[in-house]
Parts: sequence; C-alpha cells; structure tokens
Amino acid sequence: MDLHIAQPSAGTDDLATRGITELAPLLRDGKISPVAVTEACLDRISRYDGAVHAFIRVTADRALAAARSAEAEIAAGRYRGPFHGIPFALKDIIDVAGVPTTAHSRLLPADTPIAVSAPVTQQLEAAGGIMLGKLGTFEFALGGPSWDLPWPPPLNPWNTDFLPGGSSSGSGAAVAARFVPSAIGTDTGGSVRWPAAVCGIVGLKPTYGLLSRRGVQPNTFSLDHCGPMTRTVRDCALMLAACTGHDPLDPGSADVPLPDYAASLTGDVKGKRIGVVRNWYVPEATDEVVTAVDSAVEQLWALGAIVEEVTLPDIGDYSDCKTLISTCELFAIHAPDLRTRPQLFGAKLRQRVIGGAFVRAEDYLQAQRWRTELVRQMLALFLRYDALATAGWLSTADPASPEAADFFRTRRLVTMPFSLAGIPALVVPCGFGAHNLPISLQIAARPFAETTVLRIGDAYQQATDWHLRMPVLH
Amino acid sequence: MTAPMPDREQILALAAQAGLTLPAAYEDELVAAYANVRRMIDRLPANRPRGDEPAHVFVPTKFLPTEN
Repeated sequence: MDLHIAQPSAGTDDLATRGITELAPLLRDGKISPVAVTEACLDRISRYDGAVHAFIRVTADRALAAARSAEAEIAAGRYRGPFHGIPFALKDIIDVAGVPTTAHSRLLPADTPIAVSAPVTQQLEAAGGIMLGKLGTFEFALGGPSWDLPWPPPLNPWNTDFLPGGSSSGSGAAVAARFVPSAIGTDTGGSVRWPAAVCGIVGLKPTYGLLSRRGVQPNTFSLDHCGPMTRTVRDCALMLAACTGHDPLDPGSADVPLPDYAASLTGDVKGKRIGVVRNWYVPEATDEVVTAVDSAVEQLWALGAIVEEVTLPDIGDYSDCKTLISTCELFAIHAPDLRTRPQLFGAKLRQRVIGGAFVRAEDYLQAQRWRTELVRQMLALFLRYDALATAGWLSTADPASPEAADFFRTRRLVTMPFSLAGIPALVVPCGFGAHNLPISLQIAARPFAETTVLRIGDAYQQATDWHLRMPVLH
Repeated sequence: MTAPMPDREQILALAAQAGLTLPAAYEDELVAAYANVRRMIDRLPANRPRGDEPAHVFVPTKFLPTEN
C-alpha cells in the first residue's frame, strides 16, 4: 500500500496540503499570506494536474490578484472571517464573472466569459475566498465519465488507473490531490457524495434550497443542490457557512435561520440516536465496503451514540423514481439542442437524455407522487432517530476505462434516497480498500439539520485518522 | 397492466411525437433509451388516491418580484 500520513514540511507543499481550519488562524494573524497559499496551490496544480486532469481552467492571474487584495485587507485589519484568503475551485457548471462556463461540453462556448457570478460564487468571494479555477465534471453534471469530450475525464489522485466518481469528478480529485483545500460540487443524485466517497474526502449535500442554484447549469430542477467538498468535516462547516444564504431569485431557495455550523462541532455524540440503513449496503456493497462501514458504525457506538438497524425500501425504488424524474426534467432542458445539434453531445449525455422523450406527463406526476411516498417513509424515522447512517458508496472507485458499461443503467445508487428526500447527507472517509482506494460512511438527518450530520461526522473524524492520509502524486 | 413493448418503428414514432427525430446514427440509442425508461415506468406504483399531491407544489410567493 502506497499510503502515508501527511507530514508538514517547510516547502510550498506544506501550505497547499493544509485545510481551512489550519490556514485560517495563520492568515488572520498575518503569519502566512494568502498570496503564499495561493502560489503553493498553483504550484502543486502545475506539477501534478497533468496526471489528474482535475481542472478545465486554472485562473491563476485572477486568483493572485484576489490573493493580493486579501493580503492587503487582512494587513489593514479588515479580516472577513475564516474563509478569508482560502483558495477554492468550482465545478465548471457554476458561473464566475469573467470566466467561461463549459459544463465540460462542446455545447457551450469555451471562450465566452460569463457576465455575472452565481450567488454561491459571489458569497464565497465576499467571504474572502480565492477562486483558483474551474473543475472537470461529467458533461452537464450527467454525461460521464466520457472520453469523447474536449477535455479528458479527471482521474483519481489515489490511483490514476481509477476514476474519481462523478459528476463533481474534478472537485473530488482536486481536493483529494491537495490542489485546493475546498471546492464546490453539485449533487442531483449523489454527485457531491460519490466523488467525495471514492476520493477519500468530505462532501455534503445540504438540504434542498439551502444553497442557491442560480447561475449553475441545471440537471434536475427539483433535485439540484450545490455542496461543499473539503478534507475535514470542520472545514466543510466553515465553507458551508461561507456560501449559505437565501436567494430570492432562486425559486427553490429556502429562507431559514442559519445556525453557527462550526459551533455545533462539539465532538460529542453521546445519546445521539442513529438508525443504520444496512439493507442498502448488505449484501449489495463489496465486502471491504461492508466491513469498513460496519466498523465506522461501531466507532460511533463506541463514542456513545445509540445505534440501531433500520430497514427502508430497496435502493432500486429510490433510484428508479429519481431517474424517471430526472430523465424528464433533463429532456425539457436539453431537447432544443438534441433536436438541432445532437452531434455536439457526448455520447453518454445524449444517451441519458433522449429517454425523456418517452416519459409521459402522467409518468412524471406518478413518479413525483412515488417520491412523496418514499420520502414520507424515510422522514418518519426522524421521529425516533437523530440521524441515519449507511455506506457512502457501495464500492471503491471504478477503473478508468472507456470501454466500461454505462453504470447509470446497471447500478443502484446509495446516494439517491437522500437526494429524493432533499435532506442533508454527508460522506466521510472510513477506510481504504484494494488498490489504495478510499471507502466512506454516509450520514443523513432531517431537513436543515446540517449541524447534526456535521457534528456526527466531526466526532467520527476526531476519533479516526482516515482523513489525514494523503495520496502520493507523480 | 403492462402494455406490450413497441417495435423499433413504433419507438421512433414515439420519439418523433415528442419532437425528436434524430439522424439514423442515433436511432439505436433511442431504442435502448426506450427500454431503459420503460423498465422504470413499469415500476411506478399505480392506483393512487385522486388527491395524492405530488412532491412538487406551486408556491406563488416564490415568484414575487424582488429589489435584486
């Protein structure tokens, strides 16, 4: 096994490999400069991204200008908070003013800068974050992994013979590779959590509506979420705080009071009631995943949580319900391009979208009714439990093979139940399997109970060291 | 009751009815997509109560003009 625990060193890699929690007080106190942190990340990207392909576009000049501005502000006593001077990157379906959005697709102009940043970008930059670039994705957050697009698919930093999951594939790869301490992905059926799970990082799909989706290329309006991806739960809480907020121009945006996410990380889960949805990963997951997830659940029990096994409907019910809804909404979004320039689609995007032509209005509405039924069953469990736990993903990462079958038609996704429910779901690394590839635990809670999943995930990370391991890049 | 599977020509006609007439090179993709979608549609629970509200509801206040 080619693993090692991260060892701080005096070089630029030291700054690039540190997380938000470590960097923030040093930046605040002027002990390190945002410029130095940004340069360290850019240096690491230039040395290693040729093998990982996490980035579609690195905006080095823009980032260095922002870093110099942050440096001057902090020096002048205008420290904005823990995200000030922190580098981040965005899945390339999220708009940034002055930078093209490609959606990893030939369908969008690759050289036309966007006029206005998405609110999630605006919020992170208002918090002082330094945007380093745009990250690879499945085409339009759906069609991938693809080898027939203008940019290669990102690869898994733990082992570049394997993929980083998707659709926020570049986001997962970039954070795991220590190119950036934080990134934003989007999650419709698991696209934050899958790459986080198989890249050994933390990914949060927040409650539907907690983060604005305006200025983000849509996948499925009724299921789309933006979400933070970091290496620790504590960093995730800090990034979440920097990008939440009601957006009156996003009809899905929720206008709710926002708690202090970081303050919820007490490390204490004593008495927390956790229902383990084991029928979603046994016997379906690989043996190494079952062992790792069961061990993680035992760890939570050892920390004082009350753990009980619960049973919910088969994952296939959630997957089929979600996929039908998505197929219909995707078709409504992409049909004009399908009718006029189908040849510009990557094959996987085209093949997944065209099925929408066959979903009748009646089928769509029945699927939405099915969604209500499935979600009611799940939410009823929160009368008894504070959280639900299950596998983050049912296997380790897939081989990077253009010949592989389209898994969307063969695989049932353990992330989809919480997508349909729109509830917060967090993945945290909980082990490693064959080929040096990460395994993860998934924790979900009732709507807007982000503090609950963060608290449990943080307590788990305080008791374990999976998140301290880092891939060796070549 | 599950309806019989349409043949290739019928599937292409269904696509055309939805405004999707693709070049011949993509017709196999349409046929495969139909089979995939049809499998899921056949799993949809039927016979719901008339008043069973679907998951999406319309909230008119979401679309009020704002100052932004």
